[in-house]
Amino acid sequence: MPKEIKGIQIAQIPELNQLKIVRIFNEKWIHNLVSHPRPQRPGLGLTGYLKHIQSGRIQIFGKTEAGYLRNLKEEDRNRCLKNYFALKLPGIIISESITAESDWIAMAARYGTPILISELHTAPLISRLSAFLYQYFSKKIKMNGVLMDIMGQGVLITGTSGIGKSETALELVNKGYQLIADDVAEFYLDSNDDLIGRANEIIKNLMEVRGLGIININDIFGASAVLEEKKLNLVINLEKWDPRKKYDRLGEDTQYFKILGLEIPLITLPVGPGRNLSTIIEVAVRNFLAKKSGKKTYLEIKDERPRPEEEPTGPEVEVSK
Amino acid sequence: MIEKTQLIHNKLGLHARAAAKLSHLANLFTSDIYLIYNEDKVNAKSLLGILTLAASVGNEIILQASGGDEQEAITAIGDLFDRKFDEES
Repeated sequence: MPKEIKGIQIAQIPELNQLKIVRIFNEKWIHNLVSHPRPQRPGLGLTGYLKHIQSGRIQIFGKTEAGYLRNLKEEDRNRCLKNYFALKLPGIIISESITAESDWIAMAARYGTPILISELHTAPLISRLSAFLYQYFSKKIKMNGVLMDIMGQGVLITGTSGIGKSETALELVNKGYQLIADDVAEFYLDSNDDLIGRANEIIKNLMEVRGLGIININDIFGASAVLEEKKLNLVINLEKWDPRKKYDRLGEDTQYFKILGLEIPLITLPVGPGRNLSTIIEVAVRNFLAKKSGKKTYLEIKDERPRPEEEPTGPEVEVSK
Repeated sequence: MIEKTQLIHNKLGLHARAAAKLSHLANLFTSDIYLIYNEDKVNAKSLLGILTLAASVGNEIILQASGGDEQEAITAIGDLFDRKFDEES
C-alpha cells in the first residue's frame, strides 16, 4: 500500500553529512519541513518572478544567485529578498562555500529560514540531495518474496509460503549470488522511474530457513553475499506443479508483473520433484539476458520435415489492363 | 474474507519469539492470512514479515484472513494474542 509522506525535517536528512555542510546560519529553524522531492534553484525567482517558487522545496543558491544578489543596489536587494523569503521557504543551501552576506541571513531569519553552506559544487549538491529526497518521498510498496542479485539482474522470487523460496535463495547465495531481502522486500520508484528494492532495516541480511531458524547471511557468507539495494528486472514466481495448467513449453510467452505503474517481466516456474530450482532460476536469468538482447531460441529450431508439394493456393486473378 | 482488530497485550510485543509462534500457527491454516499495522500489510505466515511491523504492546493490528478455514484461523490467532503468546503468567 503506497504511503503518503508529508515531509522531512532538514535536520533529519541523513545525507546532510555527505553534502559537506560547513556552516549553518539561523540554526533554530533547522527543523523546518521539506515537503517536495526536488530541490529548486530560485534563478528568476530572485528578480521577483515568484510564480514557480514552491514553498515546500529546499532552495539551492549557486554562483548565479549569489552574484546576482551582490550586484543589486541595496534597496533592490532588500525588496527582492523580502519577497522571496516571505514565501516561508524550508531552507537555503549555498554551494561552493560561497559567503552568505549578513543582510541575506537577517532577512532569512525574519521569515524563519535557515541557511546552510556546503563545500560541494552546485551540480553534485543537487544530485545527491534529490537522489535522497526522491527515495524518501517516492511511493513505497512491500512485496512478499526474496530479492536477489543474479548475474547483475535484480530478481524477485515469489511464491506461496512454504514452497521453498528461502531454500532456493540459500542455494543461490551458496553459488555466489547476492541477497538483498528475504521474505519481504520494500520497493520505491527512483528519479529514473526504476523500481528499487531493499530490505527493511529490521530484517536486513537475515534469512529464515526452516530447521535452521533465522540466519545472518552477512555473518555466514561475508559482505560479498549481500547487497543494500537493487533495481528490479525480473520476477520469478514459484508455484506447485499443476498438470492441468499450461506452462510455456517453447519459451515464447512474455508475461508481466504489474507494480506501481510499471511492467516487470514475469516467469512462472512450476515446482516439482526432481527440479533443481536454483539451477533453473540461474538458467532462467541467463535466458532472460539472452532474450533481452534479441535471441529467440524457439525460432531457431531446424525444421527438416518433408514438406508437401506446393500447390497453388488459389485461382490466379487476371489483371485487366 | 474476514477481519478482526486485535490488541497486542504481551509486554514485549511482536518480538522474534512471539512472531515465530504466530507464523507457526498461521502456517497450520490453508487460508491467506495477513497482519495489517500502520498501513503495512504482511503475510502472517512469514516470520521476517511479521518482524518488519515492529508492533509493540498496546498497538492495535488488524488480522485478515481469506480462504476455507478463515474463521478458525482468525479465532486461533486472536486467541494466541489474548493468551499473550503464552509467555507471561
